[in-house]
Amino acid sequence: MKELNSKSNISLYLMVFLLSLFILVIEGSFLSVFFNRTNMPDLLLIMVTCLAFLWGERKGVGLGLLTGLLQDLFFGPALGFFALAKMVVAYLVGLTAREVYKDQLAGPMLVVFMATFMHEFIIFFLRLLFWGSGGDFFYLLDEFFLPKAVYHLLLAIPFYPLLYRANQRGFFYIFQK
Amino acid sequence: MDQTTRRFFIFLTLIVLLLSAIFFTGDYRSRYTFAEDLLLAGLSPVQGFFSQLGWRTYRFIQVIMDYNALVEENKTLREELAARDNLRYQLVELQKENYRLRGMLDFKERVSYDLLPAQVIARDPSQWFETITINRGYADGVKKNMAVVTSEGLVGNVAKVSRNSAQVLLLTDSRRAVSALVQRTREPGAVGIVEGYPEEKGCLRMINIPPEANVQAGDTVISAGLGGVFPKGLIIGHIVETGSDQYGLLQQAIIRPAVDFNRLEEVFVVMELLHEEKPGTEDEVI
Repeated sequence: MKELNSKSNISLYLMVFLLSLFILVIEGSFLSVFFNRTNMPDLLLIMVTCLAFLWGERKGVGLGLLTGLLQDLFFGPALGFFALAKMVVAYLVGLTAREVYKDQLAGPMLVVFMATFMHEFIIFFLRLLFWGSGGDFFYLLDEFFLPKAVYHLLLAIPFYPLLYRANQRGFFYIFQK
Repeated sequence: MDQTTRRFFIFLTLIVLLLSAIFFTGDYRSRYTFAEDLLLAGLSPVQGFFSQLGWRTYRFIQVIMDYNALVEENKTLREELAARDNLRYQLVELQKENYRLRGMLDFKERVSYDLLPAQVIARDPSQWFETITINRGYADGVKKNMAVVTSEGLVGNVAKVSRNSAQVLLLTDSRRAVSALVQRTREPGAVGIVEGYPEEKGCLRMINIPPEANVQAGDTVISAGLGGVFPKGLIIGHIVETGSDQYGLLQQAIIRPAVDFNRLEEVFVVMELLHEEKPGTEDEVI
């Protein structure tokens, strides 16, 4: 039983790894042609939030850590930057998910909205901590955090049901079979 | 210790470990680890493919959207072409004059660098870090701190290098600063620092300009070459606004960059390292 559980975890994280690589390549190399930095959605964050919401805080921590480390490797200024932000967000989302119905869309939409604020605030704080400058907080809140949170809330409408169904149909456990 | 407390303790340990990782893998390292290198090298062609696909799709959509305008433009251009034949003879004269002036201005300074063409294969999708990824790495001789330019002007410098790709820190990143001077006056005392200016979208800010310096809107700002990373004389941008700094002691200027950082497709790496990095030293990258 324990062996089966560890096998299913490996399969799950392997799928998350591959999906994250795909999203990072698409975001960084394809979508970046069409979007400016200011209006580029963070699809990885939406994925992490939705899956942490479905899987709870325990798997959420591993999920946030893995996807964040990959993002750090591709675009981060140091290993751990996005990993820390995404891990904390996934942990908190996982905790809140206990109280919310998973088969209704309103809950995850609100969670994605809040998670975006949390994620951006953590990055702001880390920049302040390591480089002494995070930018003008209220300017960033008005120009980036709020529009991005609304943007992500709307993107959760197609993404959450997609991930919900994929999870129910065992998409993340393909390698277990 | 119950399970919840144990999990929370593990979570806190992970936070401390990640904070340490950020500290130890920050600006101080110029190369990736073997595992990172392997993953990046493997994905570099995939990134290149999707980047090309993106640009082709973008151009295709542009052509469709601009169809009527293109038909009209084509007609106008045909008419203009006929009229321009006369100008060709004048151009020959101008070309001769141009060669003469180039010699006078010691233009060699600007074109004597060995340039390596590179393709932009990825951009940081978040708004936090202004970086791009190019398809040239240490296998092509690229090293940390080499300047990256386009024909329009200065783009940034190489921050990290893997075998087949390199991460370039753009001028607009607020973590960096470049010594610069105003091309029109070239006053030795009027060297300022150009830094990213996140409060004004897509703009840079030149600070620490002496109060007596003659700086005006429209002036071209070039790299001063003082920090040892960027060669002297590369165009950074044009001043759009000048004013006093927050203390009223020095001047500052808002600069519109010469390069459109949102539309970077191909760049050149200046294959000349003005200043070899020694461990523990920092250059113009803050």
